[in-house]
Amino acid sequence: MTLLAIRGLTKNFGPVEILKGVDLEVNKGEVVSIIGASGSGKTTLLRCVNLLEDFNGGEIILDGVAIGYTGEGHARRRLGERELARQRAMTGMVFQSFNLFPHLTALGNVMLGLTKVRHMAKREAQQLAMSWLARVGLDDRAAHLPGQLSGGQQQRVAIARALAMDPKLVLLDEITSALDPELVGEVLNTIKLLAKEGTTMLIVTHEMRFARDVAHRTIFMDGGLIAEQGPSAGLFRNPKNARLKEFLKRANM
Amino acid sequence: MEHFLQELWIARWALAQGLLLTVEISAAAILCGSLIGLLAGIGLTYGKWLLRLPIRALVDCIRGIPVLVLILASFYLLTFAGINLTAVQSGLFALSIFCGAHMGEIIRGALQSIPATQIDAGRAIGLTFPRILVYVLLPQAMRQIMPVWVNTGAELVKASTLLSVIGTGELLLRTQEIVGRNFMTLEFYALCGFLYFLINSVIERLGKFASRRFALQ
Repeated sequence: MTLLAIRGLTKNFGPVEILKGVDLEVNKGEVVSIIGASGSGKTTLLRCVNLLEDFNGGEIILDGVAIGYTGEGHARRRLGERELARQRAMTGMVFQSFNLFPHLTALGNVMLGLTKVRHMAKREAQQLAMSWLARVGLDDRAAHLPGQLSGGQQQRVAIARALAMDPKLVLLDEITSALDPELVGEVLNTIKLLAKEGTTMLIVTHEMRFARDVAHRTIFMDGGLIAEQGPSAGLFRNPKNARLKEFLKRANM
Repeated sequence: MEHFLQELWIARWALAQGLLLTVEISAAAILCGSLIGLLAGIGLTYGKWLLRLPIRALVDCIRGIPVLVLILASFYLLTFAGINLTAVQSGLFALSIFCGAHMGEIIRGALQSIPATQIDAGRAIGLTFPRILVYVLLPQAMRQIMPVWVNTGAELVKASTLLSVIGTGELLLRTQEIVGRNFMTLEFYALCGFLYFLINSVIERLGKFASRRFALQ
């Protein structure tokens, strides 16, 4: 079953075309990784799906609903803030720089969306948040502020914060790029666990081995387009696209 | 000393009234000013230019005018606009916009120092912008605002003495009246100064307490 369908997505920053017509489908329960050089449009694509960026053309259909815009042609306009917020809650996003709320504890970070977006009672929210912190192995750090946690721990809290909202689709944007090498493992293990449980994920990553091992399918983006895609194992073993070959060679794959 | 106490006893109600009015006007001006400043600060930081431009112009104008001139202007000039305010009202108005302009600039600075990624993070969990403001941005901004806010509060109490020129019966004017009766210049001005010091040290205490509440760790 198709959960996410992106059709002809285009996006400009001023005169610069970042996305030049991206088509992509992600099935329910599928883990898809996006690789490619910096500036190829990976992160922008992810931010468009979470409606953090507006886009100029094409459509994004999430669970059967075109998101972000209403109307077509000249009548096309961005949805209002409330509707956008409602649609954003359907996807969870984890950022490269964690972006935890520094004034809230680990527990408070996970609870905020539960109480203010999902309108759960405080007790119920607290229980759910604690169970998610336990799943990322941080229930003993619930009362810590982000500043008191290591990078890897902060990122795991950010994963719990996103997952606790019960999103249909989880977007991970280079979530290990800002981590010290010895902390990358704990975060990737958490993601592997989620993949095993059937969480649908779209992962932008520079960790080629992780993409190969965890993602069912890998997308190679180049110059704002999808240059090659296929089952991860095959794509890494026999890349066809010349740019992908070179890209993988430089990544020592 | 006995003479002073005797005079103090005679002047007790006048002094108490003055003190009360000073505290009332200052508190009201801090409250109104902070509210104005909050709106101005949010508008300056996140508003579109059409909103930003007039706020920026107003804030800069008010910040460029001495408080005494603001007070005189709101007492004498607003009448021409058909607005008739009492001395207390026009004093309160002048102090509120003075405080509002300063707070606006302070709050803008604090909000702008918060990285935009915090807004992304709030949006990503489905919060609308007003909620992001309330639960994510303002609590973080408060840490920076608190110390400066306390300062502005203390400045405002001191600036309230200027209301004596338009005949508002606050602490300084009452003291002047008392001294005019009994000629005990040194004693009563010293007492007046001490009372202002007392008010401001209470404000500072409250500020320290509140700062601790918003501090991390």
